[in-house]
Amino acid sequence: MLKGLGLILLLSIAVILPFFLKDYWVYSLTITLYYVVMAVAWNLLGGYTGQFSLSHHTFAVIGSYTSALLIIKTGIPLWMGMVSSWMFNVLISVLLGILCLRMRGIYLALTTWAFAEIVKTYIRMDFEFTGGDRGLKAPLFFKTMDPVPYYYLFLALAVITIIVIAVIMRSRIGYYLRAIRNDEVAAQAMGVNTVRWKVFAFMAASVIASVAGTFYGHFTGLISPVSGEFYEMALIIIFVVIGGMRSQSGPVVGAVSVRFLAEVLKKWPEVRMVILAALVILIMRFFNGGLMEFLRQGYQRVRQRKGAQPVSAYQETDKTNAMLEKK
Amino acid sequence: MQFLISGIVLGVLYCLMSLGVNFIYGIMKVINWAMGEFFMIGAYVQYLLIVFFLGVRYWYIGVFIAALCTFLLGAFVQKILIKPMFVGIIEEKTEYATIVTIAMAILFRNLAILIGGPYIYTPPDYAPPTHLGPLPLSGNNFIAFIGTIVILAFFFYFLKKTWLGKAFQAVSQNRTGVLTAGIDVLKFDMIAFGIGTALAGAGGALLAPVLLVHPLCGVIPTVRGFEIIVIGGLGSIPGVFIAGLSLGIAESLGAAFINPSFIDIYGFGLLMLILLIKPYGLFGKPERSV
Repeated sequence: MLKGLGLILLLSIAVILPFFLKDYWVYSLTITLYYVVMAVAWNLLGGYTGQFSLSHHTFAVIGSYTSALLIIKTGIPLWMGMVSSWMFNVLISVLLGILCLRMRGIYLALTTWAFAEIVKTYIRMDFEFTGGDRGLKAPLFFKTMDPVPYYYLFLALAVITIIVIAVIMRSRIGYYLRAIRNDEVAAQAMGVNTVRWKVFAFMAASVIASVAGTFYGHFTGLISPVSGEFYEMALIIIFVVIGGMRSQSGPVVGAVSVRFLAEVLKKWPEVRMVILAALVILIMRFFNGGLMEFLRQGYQRVRQRKGAQPVSAYQETDKTNAMLEKK
Repeated sequence: MQFLISGIVLGVLYCLMSLGVNFIYGIMKVINWAMGEFFMIGAYVQYLLIVFFLGVRYWYIGVFIAALCTFLLGAFVQKILIKPMFVGIIEEKTEYATIVTIAMAILFRNLAILIGGPYIYTPPDYAPPTHLGPLPLSGNNFIAFIGTIVILAFFFYFLKKTWLGKAFQAVSQNRTGVLTAGIDVLKFDMIAFGIGTALAGAGGALLAPVLLVHPLCGVIPTVRGFEIIVIGGLGSIPGVFIAGLSLGIAESLGAAFINPSFIDIYGFGLLMLILLIKPYGLFGKPERSV
């Protein structure tokens, strides 16, 4: 109940926020929401399923390029270009997934990493077709540069993504995916078709990335191979790890807080990346769980101080033991 | 014929990189994603040495020192970051290693930009242009080719003939088994990580005049290195050579007969083909899952 109220409050703050902020900050928030979508989708794959895709950003790039190129070269309407680019991404991700998910997860990481670099290089090299390093002018979604409508678009997209992932994780499929992460052999022995569900998770995450990518392309109006750099992928991993892997709210909190930090340290981009990378290493080394786990533990400690007894497994067993002794 | 030779030269150069990755994987079952950054550090060290201390004539000493530096750095990184995996703190090993080494790669890249600036440094040439059979070859490529072969020969002698090398083979076969034979596995892990990174560092030093010295100079060799590993099979040392040579040949043939500007794509096409036919690579074995 309290949680629901908090969510509604957060959402309403997010809805009225653009009325109080300058255009620059609305623009920045929109990009943050794009990263929220990417991080939440990657968490489904890297966090819950334990399969490392290192070409998450590449699917966004492929999505934005396919859509923009289709619209420019053939003159079809905008929505048709976007939908066909999503279809294209489904095809690519299923092919890649079937090829390298038959083996252990590390093959996916190796292959997708090479794939990401290859796609970036291709876009750079084939400049007559893709525009190369100069970038490509994509048609705008709302025919305006004003960031406010795009902000609402991305807010809706983020909310839908979070809901979709939450539904997936609460359904039967979610349990399959978690079982695959915890012990693939045991999952297989229990009758989970591991390859199929791994491919499904890879496809779902990649397609969400491509949806976000196409909207992003039609929002900024200029797409370039820079968003295919490995730096972008590292940012997504940083968001998820700092926020907390394997939690619904972790990637959201991570993306928002890290983006805020990034805006503050805008003048020193290298220092900012050094700090973030060091933070990720420290979190992984000493505190596996990220910000959300930190908040949860802090909350529990506060409750403990107020006198409410924390419920732990040991106490439960103590109680049952006491009851047994009475009998 | 010309293209074949140039393909072989390319392939041998790629081998150095993937050998390091594969050696580390063989011992610890961990992929080091920061390999390209160790390559970059090797190149920077070599550049500093040649320009400020040694001069171009003693470049081979520079290669040794660069390899030594990356060895020490790699062993240190292993000691503070990778070792905890085996002492039993970390729950999910692959995940931990992947994220930590990726973060390390980002850290090193940005430190390089912070310290050296985003500039491209050009070290002086090691040797004048020469010929290899019918193929005209720049002196730098020739030196890198010969240097790589020498390093690979040393590495193989070390692995096959010395006691230490045999111990490494044993560790890669069965970690628990060698413990009973009195081998300190954790110490060997550290040395193995150091050797892997030293191979990358030596590669960086050798190829410094070819690929030039800048914060991202390790990326291209690393992509090739990972492609070779998937083609040849994870953890297989002979696979590295066959895959490296075939990748080099595929690239130079593709560049010659199809279109030279898409040279990066042919290797990936080869990789996809191999994955389709032999999912575990040419020489890889399906891993035992329990």
